[in-house]
Amino acid sequence: MTREISVELQKVSKLYGQDKVVDEVSFTVEKGEVFVMIGPSGCGKTTTLKMINQLIPHSSGNILVNGTDVAELDVVELRRSIGYVIQYIGLLPHLTIQENIAFVLKLTKHPKKMQKDRAEELIETVGLPLNYLNRYPRELSGGQQQRVGVARALAANPDILLMDEPFGAVDPLTREQLQNELLRLQESIQKTIVFVTHDMQEAFKVGNRIGILRQGKLVCLGTPMEIVKSDDEFVKNFIGQGALFEVFDTIPVTRVLQKDFPTARYDQKVDLQAEELEDWENVFIIDSDDSCKGYIPLSSLNSDGSYTADQIIPLPKASSPDISVKLAVQEMLWGGRTWLPIVDEKSGFKGIVQFRSCAGLVAGDRR
Amino acid sequence: MELLSSAWAYFINRQDLMFEVLKEHVTLVLWATFFTIIIGVPVGIAISRTEKLRNMILGSVSVLYTIPILALFGFLIPIMGIGSTPALIALIIYGLLPVIRNSCVGITQVHPMLKESAKGMGANNLQLLFRVEIPLAFPVIFAGIRTALVMNFSLATYAVFIGAGGMGRIIMQGIRTFNTGMMLAGILMVVITTVLLERMVGVIDNRIQKRYSLSD
Repeated sequence: MTREISVELQKVSKLYGQDKVVDEVSFTVEKGEVFVMIGPSGCGKTTTLKMINQLIPHSSGNILVNGTDVAELDVVELRRSIGYVIQYIGLLPHLTIQENIAFVLKLTKHPKKMQKDRAEELIETVGLPLNYLNRYPRELSGGQQQRVGVARALAANPDILLMDEPFGAVDPLTREQLQNELLRLQESIQKTIVFVTHDMQEAFKVGNRIGILRQGKLVCLGTPMEIVKSDDEFVKNFIGQGALFEVFDTIPVTRVLQKDFPTARYDQKVDLQAEELEDWENVFIIDSDDSCKGYIPLSSLNSDGSYTADQIIPLPKASSPDISVKLAVQEMLWGGRTWLPIVDEKSGFKGIVQFRSCAGLVAGDRR
Repeated sequence: MELLSSAWAYFINRQDLMFEVLKEHVTLVLWATFFTIIIGVPVGIAISRTEKLRNMILGSVSVLYTIPILALFGFLIPIMGIGSTPALIALIIYGLLPVIRNSCVGITQVHPMLKESAKGMGANNLQLLFRVEIPLAFPVIFAGIRTALVMNFSLATYAVFIGAGGMGRIIMQGIRTFNTGMMLAGILMVVITTVLLERMVGVIDNRIQKRYSLSD
């Protein structure tokens, strides 16, 4: 399946005098993808972003937005067709929240009624109460203002959003909340997002793909997992030691969940020859009502596979299937175990996550 | 006390004259302020764009500002004679400095990030100017207009020297005819109206500053 390409940069450079701040950067962003640009300050990531909506004109190369070269487009029209989110100080302080959200619609002279309706719709989309529409930006907290910033970018319903360190000016707790909201929102709106940040954790969290820039050059490009596995010294240093864990935070535990695990009926012997026992240290005892009674380490079974009821160890505290691999590993470490039962509140026992399969996520394709 | 009552008596007896000079005075000042705004605000905005022009214009307006008003009259009379036109010109010249300077400062102090975000959302140059820059600079621009207005109101007392009437007429005539009651009536009228005007504009200014206060 060929995917539609929303933004494409072909050998794009930006020169300030003799200084090449962006040096032949090429990448494509697919429709509906979150593409993150990251790098140390002065690496040219923001310049690259601003060249997409031509806030900064590029010196050479081609920039294509929805297949059309931006050089052939009217810059004002181009910018109106792309949502633009910056840190919350970008809200206009003399306008109410409603006027801020509908700013683009006002610029394009849409009827007042429509501006109001759209503002009402969007303020709900970003999870703020309707009565905030009549307030001024200074009356809102940083996190709330940032939500308005996102709503404002969505006003004209653009396919593409450019986000320039949008959560850079809020406290870490609010930032995480905003990231989660963005991800949830993105699930329903499916915009193409080009996102600039200097926070690697944020990049891993929101990005489908990540491009790392250094001195104007794109040095590494790939999915979070590919980035983590990079052998490039600069990339390794830049993403830091905890990076793998951060990537694990973005992978749902269901990806490593094993639904086939060795079981035995309560009051039946364990078949020690069974193939399914291979690679397992425990066998799980299933009651007649299909619930899991607990487990027995294979080592403590009698040689014929029989056991007594008091040998059954109750299952440790289970986790929900909504958690990330990172959380699952954390739970294992806390519990001093190499595995974790996953139980859904509604549908019951889902399966087991083994430490080995988590480790295999990285080592798996390396081998 | 005697002086005051003579001034009051003069004021009561010559109410018609008092209103006449007040009308002349206010008319002159309003026209002067009007032209000051019409010229000063656009010039201030224009010079906010280029530093070279800014230094040149602000420099020359500052020089004009330091010329004493009588000297300015002396300079204007040979060119345009006497009457309200040279008086108007003189007042405009004095009002220009605060209006131009404040307009320029107001526009340049608009946060570049706000301008960029408006541009990024697709504001064209005119929309950027009228929807973002001028509204955000308005409190500063208005403060400049306030200064010009109040200053012109008090300066307009000199307009009598160039035959443009105004409240200065009463004072001058009082001095010339040794009529202290008349002189004092004129002085009190100038002082009281100036203070009242200053207060009134001050209230408006405070409202604007509050309405536009941009603190986070």
